[in-house]
Amino acid sequence: MRRSRENATAGPALRMLVLTGAALAIGTLAAFAAIALVEIVSALNSLLLVDPRARVQWERQAGIVTAATLLVPTIGGLLVGLAHRHLSPDGRPLGPPDVIRAVQFRAALPPARSGLVSTATAALSLGVGASVGQYGPMVYLGAMIGGVARRLRLGVPNLAAIAVSCGVAAAISTAFNAPIAGLVFAHEVVLRHYATQAFAPVAVASATGYVIANVIFDRPALFLIQFAGVSRGHEFVLFAVLGILVALAAVGFMRLLLATGPRLALAVARPELRPALAGLAVGTTALALPDVLGIGAETLRFTTIEGAFGMAELVVLVAAKIVLTALCIGAGFSGGVFSPALLIGSLMGALFWTLATGVAGVATSGVAVYAICGMMAFASSVIGAPLTCVLIVFELTRSYDVTIAAMVAVVFANLVSHRLFGRSLFDVQLAGRGVDLSLGREWARLAALRVLDLVRDDAVVAETGEAPDAVADRLSRQGWRQAFVAGPDGRFAGVFTPGAPAATVGDAARPPTLTFDETTDVAGAMERLRGFVGDAVPVVDSASGRLLGVVSEADVVAAWLDESERLRKEENASL
Amino acid sequence: MRRFSLLRLALPLVLVLLLAQALPAAAADLTVVSWGGSYEAAQRRAVIAPFEAETGIATEVVQYDGTAAAIARRAAAEGWDVIDMLSDQARVACAAGLLQEIDAAALLGRAALADFAPAGPTRCAIPQNVYARVMAYDERAFPGVKPSRIGDFFDTDRFPGKRAVQRGPDGILEWALLAEGVPPEQVYGLLSTDRGLRLAMRRLDAIRDDIVWWTDPAEPAAMLADGRAVMAAGFNGRFFDAARSQAAPINIVWDGRIIGIEVWAIAASTDAPEAARAFLAHALGPDAMARLAERIPYGPARRSAFERIGQNPETGAPMRVFLPNAPGHGARALVRDSLWYANTEELRTRRFESWLDGDR
Repeated sequence: MRRSRENATAGPALRMLVLTGAALAIGTLAAFAAIALVEIVSALNSLLLVDPRARVQWERQAGIVTAATLLVPTIGGLLVGLAHRHLSPDGRPLGPPDVIRAVQFRAALPPARSGLVSTATAALSLGVGASVGQYGPMVYLGAMIGGVARRLRLGVPNLAAIAVSCGVAAAISTAFNAPIAGLVFAHEVVLRHYATQAFAPVAVASATGYVIANVIFDRPALFLIQFAGVSRGHEFVLFAVLGILVALAAVGFMRLLLATGPRLALAVARPELRPALAGLAVGTTALALPDVLGIGAETLRFTTIEGAFGMAELVVLVAAKIVLTALCIGAGFSGGVFSPALLIGSLMGALFWTLATGVAGVATSGVAVYAICGMMAFASSVIGAPLTCVLIVFELTRSYDVTIAAMVAVVFANLVSHRLFGRSLFDVQLAGRGVDLSLGREWARLAALRVLDLVRDDAVVAETGEAPDAVADRLSRQGWRQAFVAGPDGRFAGVFTPGAPAATVGDAARPPTLTFDETTDVAGAMERLRGFVGDAVPVVDSASGRLLGVVSEADVVAAWLDESERLRKEENASL
Repeated sequence: MRRFSLLRLALPLVLVLLLAQALPAAAADLTVVSWGGSYEAAQRRAVIAPFEAETGIATEVVQYDGTAAAIARRAAAEGWDVIDMLSDQARVACAAGLLQEIDAAALLGRAALADFAPAGPTRCAIPQNVYARVMAYDERAFPGVKPSRIGDFFDTDRFPGKRAVQRGPDGILEWALLAEGVPPEQVYGLLSTDRGLRLAMRRLDAIRDDIVWWTDPAEPAAMLADGRAVMAAGFNGRFFDAARSQAAPINIVWDGRIIGIEVWAIAASTDAPEAARAFLAHALGPDAMARLAERIPYGPARRSAFERIGQNPETGAPMRVFLPNAPGHGARALVRDSLWYANTEELRTRRFESWLDGDR
């Protein structure tokens, strides 16, 4: 236990000052960083003819536009691949899963150099028009700024996790102009609890980001929409059905995304060529379907206009965007999944509306609300944050009617995707790296503690050749009832209990009722200790059979209690 | 021999006299090119007359249609010196080498550069006023519910009658998308895509049979006044002037106004560069800008000119509320993206012409 550090806390007034000051500083820096990222991407988009507004101005020189469409994402992909391979210690883009892991396990984020390379490659990936999102990198950038607080010894418990969450909240708040959504996102996705101690500073950071985006820079809202209201009651059934359908597509998208990386790694040996090939695929598709390039702000807007797309166009675009996003992220382009999810979902919403009105002849209140419902249902299934998604709609549209409609679609989508796939893409990605958050953060934290770290050095360990009396003597002197017997090669031979007549302890040793191995964690050990009678459990190497040590039942219980107490304190801390 | 040399002396003299006959422009020291109508009338009183009085440089004004093509055709032949232009046309003309480069810092002083809003000087042009392309309607045509939003321009069911529209893609495409609910910030992005142009044309289809076309900016106000149209797209100053001087019941709808910037530029072929620069220095001062805004409601292009704007010298009406950049006109306004305009002119014109030909 690390009681010593937690006891060295500052007084409540100073703690409040530190938390508020940190929230303000991190919120300000994260907001500026998020704005800078957006501006760099936007400048690159214009310069490299990804932005339609730039492309149209070269319309007369069709050759230049075609060459740029093909070459820009391809060369960009190659540069991204090379940067990850040669400059980044982690060798891959970083994103929300890395942030969640660091916060949940009180660990440090990956090295700053990896983070900086990842942020730079994200700006490049987005700048060259790869089919990836900007919010994942923004979340990581905010987290990286908050992560600096970990190095400062300010005497505030849980400061590291709170500071990272502050950065995340400010980045989201700035990017979406949505401070409430930023606050909820940090708690729903990153922290996963709502302690006052964290809630207050994260809210401050989120508000700071909003003030900087709105008051100082006067940035336009991301997605304005005029909507008169849902005019017919039966439409809420349609929203629920849309949510379920969109969730099925989201599950397919996430499965494809997870499967693409390993497949591509088998097919293309050189890692830097994978994003280049994905870029070439994006460019080639964009020659026929320019809507797939980049973040697609224009396409997103078109989905809210009736008749902007034909039905066949919508089907093709949904399929193309799903495949290209999976390809780009699987290949190692740096970027998030949220923006593509918004686009795919809103295209599906428009498709659903076209089918409902055009084919089935159902009366509706217009395409816009369906596009938004689809957008948020898909995004919520992917990032596993229903509350955040509902609030983003509320803050972006300022329309209560649209928000209620989106809420219905979002909850049904989450029901389906959680059941079929998992809470979120992030959690499933983390599970793939051995961090299982599906049973909650407490279980995950206990599962991260190995019993091997709890082995005692005072247990009685005997060799097979020793005389039973001598060992019995040692047992009574040290107050143990059983000795753990190992052969001369260190292999575990059994448990020796004094009393039975035998020549050596090796002959008297009996197989134990319970053994642990090097992989056993505290959560699993607690399950197996149910009904166990005895002092201690041997830890035996699963491969060699060697005795690694002995853990007492009391130590396992103590570790479990300590960890639970830490969590309880963190989740109920007021300051 | 003697006769021959006399002829050699007389010939140029005759030629000069002939030229002077053919081109009355040569009689003045400076030729300013403007747009005619009430705008030019205001400009003469507010800018040109005070300039002549101050400097003694005789100035004459000729009219053109505002295009860069007209400069290429006429500027050198007619001795144009200073030209009143839309900022995007100035960019086109500048890129084509038809305009002189202007060092605004040397001309007006470095401090003045920061005074320009919403846009500063470019390579060949300096902003002089801010105008708006607005929709206006004839009060008599709508005694009940009045048009109030740009969408109403395309709604012939609720607001039947003819619409006066400029024969060209300027402005009307933006309005078509604003009417679809696209926020102003995204209008040019969407118009940059094929899909956006198609959607705009689709909106235009809804009023295809109700359009009367105009080419001279004075026409839309006249069409409203004489009943040829019930709604019109035009420039705010012209509508204001028609409502005031002809007592026509014209109302301006400020929703969806497209704010543009009018600039002064100097023709590359000028034969009086010094006089041209003197004219610019005068016309681009805050006093001249304020005097113009008092006579026709085009907002000044410099912040410091705002507080000098007083009443209209003829009617005594306070002019600030009629300016396109006055507060209180509602939030939905679009600032014309002049670079985009300049670079997409050919595409937009091509698409517009093919729409006119009936291609849907």
